[in-house]
Amino acid sequence: MARTDALTLDHAALLEGPAPSLARKLLWGFARVFSILALIVAWEGLARSGAFTPFVLPSLSSVIERIWSDAISGELAINTGLTVYRALVGFLISMVGGVLIGVAMSRNAIANWFFDPIVSVGFPMPKIAFLPVVILWLGVYDVAKITIIVVDAIFPVIAATLIAIRSVERELIWSARNMGANDRELMWQIVLPAAAPQVLTGLQVALPLSMIVAVVAEMLMGGYGLGGAMMTASRFADSRGVFAGIVEIAIVGYVLIKAMSILRRRLLIWHQEANEPTTA
Amino acid sequence: MSSQPQIAIDKVAHVYRPPRGRPVLALEEISLQVQQREFVALLGPSGCGKSTLLYLIGGFLPVEKGSITVNGEPVKAPGPDRGIVFQHFALFPWKTVRDNILYGLERKTMPRAEREEQAQHFIDLVGLGGFEDSYPSQLSGGMKQRTALARTLAFDPSILLMDEPFGALDAQTRHLMQAELLSIWQRTPKTVIFVTHDVQEAVYLADRVAVMSARPGRIKTIVDTKFDKKDAGIFKSKGFVEKVDELWNLVRDEAIKAERRAP
Repeated sequence: MARTDALTLDHAALLEGPAPSLARKLLWGFARVFSILALIVAWEGLARSGAFTPFVLPSLSSVIERIWSDAISGELAINTGLTVYRALVGFLISMVGGVLIGVAMSRNAIANWFFDPIVSVGFPMPKIAFLPVVILWLGVYDVAKITIIVVDAIFPVIAATLIAIRSVERELIWSARNMGANDRELMWQIVLPAAAPQVLTGLQVALPLSMIVAVVAEMLMGGYGLGGAMMTASRFADSRGVFAGIVEIAIVGYVLIKAMSILRRRLLIWHQEANEPTTA
Repeated sequence: MSSQPQIAIDKVAHVYRPPRGRPVLALEEISLQVQQREFVALLGPSGCGKSTLLYLIGGFLPVEKGSITVNGEPVKAPGPDRGIVFQHFALFPWKTVRDNILYGLERKTMPRAEREEQAQHFIDLVGLGGFEDSYPSQLSGGMKQRTALARTLAFDPSILLMDEPFGALDAQTRHLMQAELLSIWQRTPKTVIFVTHDVQEAVYLADRVAVMSARPGRIKTIVDTKFDKKDAGIFKSKGFVEKVDELWNLVRDEAIKAERRAP
């Protein structure tokens, strides 16, 4: 049988068009980070203009100096490491727990009956309000901090998993049944892979949420960690320390999000979106 | 033709119960017998329940009233003896063309090498050689439906249930696929039930065309449409044109009824 509607690749080179020049690439690279560069220049310029005292707005260069000295003393590694550790452990628990609850709700009427009202009430509510309760029950150390992260980050995972599983096409499930898949195979080989893109979207919401709650919990509970270090700096009127914390949190957050979106592209290599341009 | 039909549908009715709103009688008093190796088309306006009937035969929906037997056994659940092909392909998008086709073979007790060989055979049969490692999102509509067809043929069902399989394709691709389906059917001993609302497609492909009425779906009449399908000029032959005309007149009334009733 002839391959009648196959794409021919004879003119592939023609279709690709001319390669973009180096200057174009550099310009484009610059355009992508322009707003960040403008912010940095404005910060440094304002701080040096004398309009503000170094206490109100320390210059970026002095803040970077401060980060460097923290890095050398080992303080930076401890604080960043602790915050990332709490955020990631909270995120991973939310991921496993959220997917399990979402799957249970989609499979089982009793689980759905039990969790549905909790998700409806809990999702839109500011869970950080539970912080005093968590402190009363669990204290102020890692267990308490990770608990409040999970309480916050698990909701988008549950919701995304539930919606994802409910929207798996009936035809996909029927096809698998047609080919003899049993219930367990259907779940693991068909439903979960089909739901993966939406579940990952839920995880991409949960990850920055974990990071945010980790920092806020550290600020309110004290101790080591980026949030705690910033509060300490603030109490000692150490404004360079406060701004150093902001820069560090911005960088850590960006790295986490970027890693997640790379992971998504890897996992969803089969998905339509893998062929489309990215915005991140 | 053998005396006992391979598929026997006896006074089947089906009620569709939407999550909200009133139940709808989708099928009423459907009786139809299909012989082994026969190619039967179900023709009717959209919403007449022809796909529902196909899903009942496939065992995807429960038979609540009447009975459907396949080789004398009542239909209870989906089975690999009845392979289905959907209008929108229903390929597993995270699997390559080859892995899609292998999925149905994984549950058969045969050595891995033989499975791979089998899959390759069907990839070649539908003309997808060179695209084994492509994902469905990288394929055209025609190629997706070839993959779906190969996947279903690969697990070797004796009955093919086809739910408007070429309805989502452009006119030219549809034409090619019709000819290819016929040539595959002529080479493999399979019974085919083919749902369509395209009169010409039904006359061209099928031995018999069951014309269905607008909702509630009933079989209005069954028309014999045997032609020499290998004849290249079939579309222009007098007999063919007359058959299309006859069937179109039968369907038109129902299509008008369906159109008026549509919300």
